[in-house]
Amino acid sequence: MGILVKDSGPLTTIQDEGRFGYQQYGVTPSGPMDARAFHIANILVGNPQGEGAMELTFKGPELEFDQDNVIAITGADMQPSVNGTKIPMYTAVAVHAGDILRFGFAAAGGCRGYIAFAGGLDIPMVMGSKSTLASKKLGGYEGRALQKGDKIGFSSPKSMLDKMEKRKVPAPVYPTKEVTLRVVLGPQEDAFSEEEQRKFFWYSSTVTSEFDRQGCRLQREVPVKHLKDGNIISDGIAFGSIQVPTTGQPFIMMADRQTVGGYTKIGTVITVDLPKIAQAKPGTKIRFVQVSMELAHLLYSRELEELKQLDEALNH
Amino acid sequence: MDVKILMSGDQAVSVQMGDEISLEVNRKVLMLHEELKKKPVEGIREMVPTYASLMIHYRPEVIGLDQLMDEIYQRVDSMQGIAESKKIIREVPIFYGGETGPDLELCAQLENTTVEEIIRKHSSHDYYVYMLGFAPGHPYSARFEEPFSFKRRDTARVKIPAGSVVVQLNLSDLIPFEQPCGWNIIGSTPLTICDYKKEDPFLVHAGEWIRYIPVSKKEYDQIKRADEAGTYKVKVREE
Repeated sequence: MGILVKDSGPLTTIQDEGRFGYQQYGVTPSGPMDARAFHIANILVGNPQGEGAMELTFKGPELEFDQDNVIAITGADMQPSVNGTKIPMYTAVAVHAGDILRFGFAAAGGCRGYIAFAGGLDIPMVMGSKSTLASKKLGGYEGRALQKGDKIGFSSPKSMLDKMEKRKVPAPVYPTKEVTLRVVLGPQEDAFSEEEQRKFFWYSSTVTSEFDRQGCRLQREVPVKHLKDGNIISDGIAFGSIQVPTTGQPFIMMADRQTVGGYTKIGTVITVDLPKIAQAKPGTKIRFVQVSMELAHLLYSRELEELKQLDEALNH
Repeated sequence: MDVKILMSGDQAVSVQMGDEISLEVNRKVLMLHEELKKKPVEGIREMVPTYASLMIHYRPEVIGLDQLMDEIYQRVDSMQGIAESKKIIREVPIFYGGETGPDLELCAQLENTTVEEIIRKHSSHDYYVYMLGFAPGHPYSARFEEPFSFKRRDTARVKIPAGSVVVQLNLSDLIPFEQPCGWNIIGSTPLTICDYKKEDPFLVHAGEWIRYIPVSKKEYDQIKRADEAGTYKVKVREE
């Protein structure tokens, strides 16, 4: 076996890299909200970067292990402890049968965390993925968030890994007051005048409490104005698309986004900045900065390279 | 063909094949999708056909944007003159009215006609499925004859059940999962619209047609049982 869930926390789901190839049928890809923290957690325990892990929200679960394994916890610091002793974030930690892993709240910056388990979790693949889309009862653990009493097996647990002492990286600092998100314009920037586009980047927005895995509603003091209105012939939606409906209040599409939508999208948050919005709490100020596609691609390839180097240093 | 490629962030482009909801433009979208499926381009992660555009999710680490755009334009050029494909019609049984079709009589009032006439209009034409979206297996479909004149309800319902068949104007959608909805519910299908356990989980696909077949409550119950047992076979016609 592996894990007994003694307490689920507010929202703990299984996520892997995502469910790709089914958006044409209306199935959203899901996957981690903060892909960077998720990838690092897997690398630290020697897994392929996209292996299924637990995504925690605001507060982690309470888990009892009945088998030895190595775990790593990344993302927002929810003060993890094993049998009452604090354990470090962003570090591979050996746990033993009988151990109890507990969490507190994400008190400082960030609100989502990840637990990766060496060798992965025994979760069935549905349409090629372990990711949970709870709103559509799809994938993960019985198509839902974890609940008290759930039992999840390990696929191939490891009681120890090579280079244990090297399996740690510095934890990022998630800002609590203001987050800058870099954005490439489009697809519907033409629905706004140049003056409105300028204002979009000049004035800040605030993260509202209407923020879940589907998306993040922002509140602006000065709503964004359209040339006509916020409606278009429904088209495809990307992770990070900034929808602006006729109300002028933006909505950033996240991991469980709908596959298509009928609102104008002024811009798209670049991939490497998605973790920043994923970790933002309600009340955080958001400032958008326009960047070129070339820069977005350069930053993304740098991120991939960085993760690859970490993986090679630890696992090859 | 006037094609426009819009930027949807650093990992997706939206290829606009036109700027209207029409059979002609949607066919072009599906043709480009087919073309790219037949001879796949390395680096394309997945494609999503919509009313008038094809969303292409790509891996920038595998294919550069310029190269991808070049490929797309080449494929658009080579599409010219592709023969029209067969019309695939899926017959979807529907029980009109009753508890599972609570707005049928309202629809008749709104159209100033009889319930029978509403059913006749709804069930005697084929509906084209422009795309799937909103929820897994949820078709956006329309008929091209005898549209209703009413639109949405004044206030949306917070939840309507899976299987509902909803209508406005010339549009009619099948609801695969419980969801909020502002359209009038005319009836219900006994079929599972999205069943993850099936090899092909989706009752209908983009580019196909739906024909609604009126059934009695008794037939509805029988079909529902057979569908749940996995013994019901959806009738598919080709024209």
